[in-house]
Amino acid sequence: MTTLAAPAGPSRLRRVGALAAAETRLLLRNRTAVVNSVLMPLLLVALVPGMGLDDRTTGPGLLTAAAGFTLVFLTYYNLVTTYVARREDLVLQRMRTGELSDGEVLLATAVPTLLVTVGQLVLVAVGVVVLDLWTAPVDAVLPVLAVLLGAALMVVLATASTVFTRTPESAQITTLPVVLGTTALSGLFFPLSVLPEELATVARLLPLTPVIELVQLGLAGRTWDGEVVAGAELWWAALVPLGTLLAWTVLAGLATARWFRWAPRR
Amino acid sequence: MHPSVAPAPPPTVAPDPSAVEVVDLHRRYGDFEAVRGVSFEVRPGEVFALLGVNGAGKTSALEVLEGLAPASGGSVQVLGADPRRERAAVRPHLGVLLQTSGLPGDLTVAETVRTWAGTLTTPRPVDEALAQVDLTGRADVRVRSLSGGERRRLDLALALLGRPRVLVLDEPTTGLDPESRRTVWRLVRGLVDDGAAVVLTTHHLEEAEELADRIAVMRAGRVVLAGTREEIAETQPATVRFTLDDGVPQLPVPAGVEVVSAGPRVEWHTRALQPVLAELLTWAAANGVVLRGLQARAASLEQAFLAVADAE
Repeated sequence: MTTLAAPAGPSRLRRVGALAAAETRLLLRNRTAVVNSVLMPLLLVALVPGMGLDDRTTGPGLLTAAAGFTLVFLTYYNLVTTYVARREDLVLQRMRTGELSDGEVLLATAVPTLLVTVGQLVLVAVGVVVLDLWTAPVDAVLPVLAVLLGAALMVVLATASTVFTRTPESAQITTLPVVLGTTALSGLFFPLSVLPEELATVARLLPLTPVIELVQLGLAGRTWDGEVVAGAELWWAALVPLGTLLAWTVLAGLATARWFRWAPRR
Repeated sequence: MHPSVAPAPPPTVAPDPSAVEVVDLHRRYGDFEAVRGVSFEVRPGEVFALLGVNGAGKTSALEVLEGLAPASGGSVQVLGADPRRERAAVRPHLGVLLQTSGLPGDLTVAETVRTWAGTLTTPRPVDEALAQVDLTGRADVRVRSLSGGERRRLDLALALLGRPRVLVLDEPTTGLDPESRRTVWRLVRGLVDDGAAVVLTTHHLEEAEELADRIAVMRAGRVVLAGTREEIAETQPATVRFTLDDGVPQLPVPAGVEVVSAGPRVEWHTRALQPVLAELLTWAAANGVVLRGLQARAASLEQAFLAVADAE
């Protein structure tokens, strides 16, 4: 039996906010991190129109590319590095001695990166409007949902990736499967419909592909194999990528719960 | 509330007053058992010290108390709750100082304390927390620039920030200068006077003697000696030393004396210091013998510690 009084503590939001504010301040004080977080993905995105691939220079194409690259190169890569650095600096272990729950510690640590992610995409969207490439999306909910779920997936993929990442430097290697593998076969560089059917199916089951599919569906109403759909058909076509996205999130979440280490190996 | 038809409950039995209760705690890493059946209890207003050489299992035991690691066997209760499974209930009342832990180097001292306070249920004011550990003058300094001792005091300020009823301190003063160490002792005593229960580990016998109401000495995962400092010291014999000049009469050896050295520099060990001394002094007076450099000393905690802590 517990004899503990339970005084009302700060709300979850307030305590995550307290740590997230400190993390954001830290990010802003680290010039290298600011440059890496903001400039690098912008450059990458800026390079995309120059690649001259089918309709990459149109608004939806640019936004789709921005979502894919930002989620992988910024959200995922940054978070792996951040979590590993915090673990190796013994900061995570310390945060665990307070009142924050494990999930709250991980979430608060991710907040600055997530804010930058959103900022980037807004910036690209503004750029698209300014360049007069904007076309009204076929469905506005899907792309937003895709980015939100995609960001959530990147957080848990990052926490899961820390399991086999010993130092922030080695993240350059350990993130390659996600950074290269999933990006290459996500439909960002070439439509998956050019692949043999079996390979296309495998590619569609990779973690980033459903995000790209959903953004494309919402913005342009185009499915992965180039068919143009609308209305109920659109959401019907969204079911497989949504399911894939959720499955990856659950999988990476379970791997995190099972194997995540809060302190360096001794 | 439904109306009660049952007879009034019997007068409440005093609730178990222990703040920390550890029963037959085991902790295993793979094949290695770091903690092998440790039990102790700490009451509010009491300081309990775990002493032992490095690798004795102190930190491994504390990690279970802190709710950071599961026990492989036995049970641990903090304020009547399991610190791991009921972490959310325990944490608002538990202050933890890890042996080593990190802080982001680019936040200032005040920002660090403010951030931590923002996550707590009943935080002290930031100014008070800094004043407690004499860091007021360093409030705007980045954590990266602090000295080792200042870092440790900041660690302590964070551990105390939530006004904990139970405080777990893993080597609180290792690496501190003597003055900072006294600051820490003063703080701990103040908390205990207010009713907090404190569990600490230390290498410093002086610290255990100074602070602890009860001490347990750990070796290879077990408690090999436990009690108050006097009880522990009494497990070892007292020592009598003196030097005899040439030509004195034959020295009688009183009952209960183990002769370590027979002379001319005599050393005796005994568990009956007073009667042995009386007999010795009587003999010396009767024979007109001078016992040069006479020393009689009860065993110290240090002696007891050295006798068991390092033994194979």
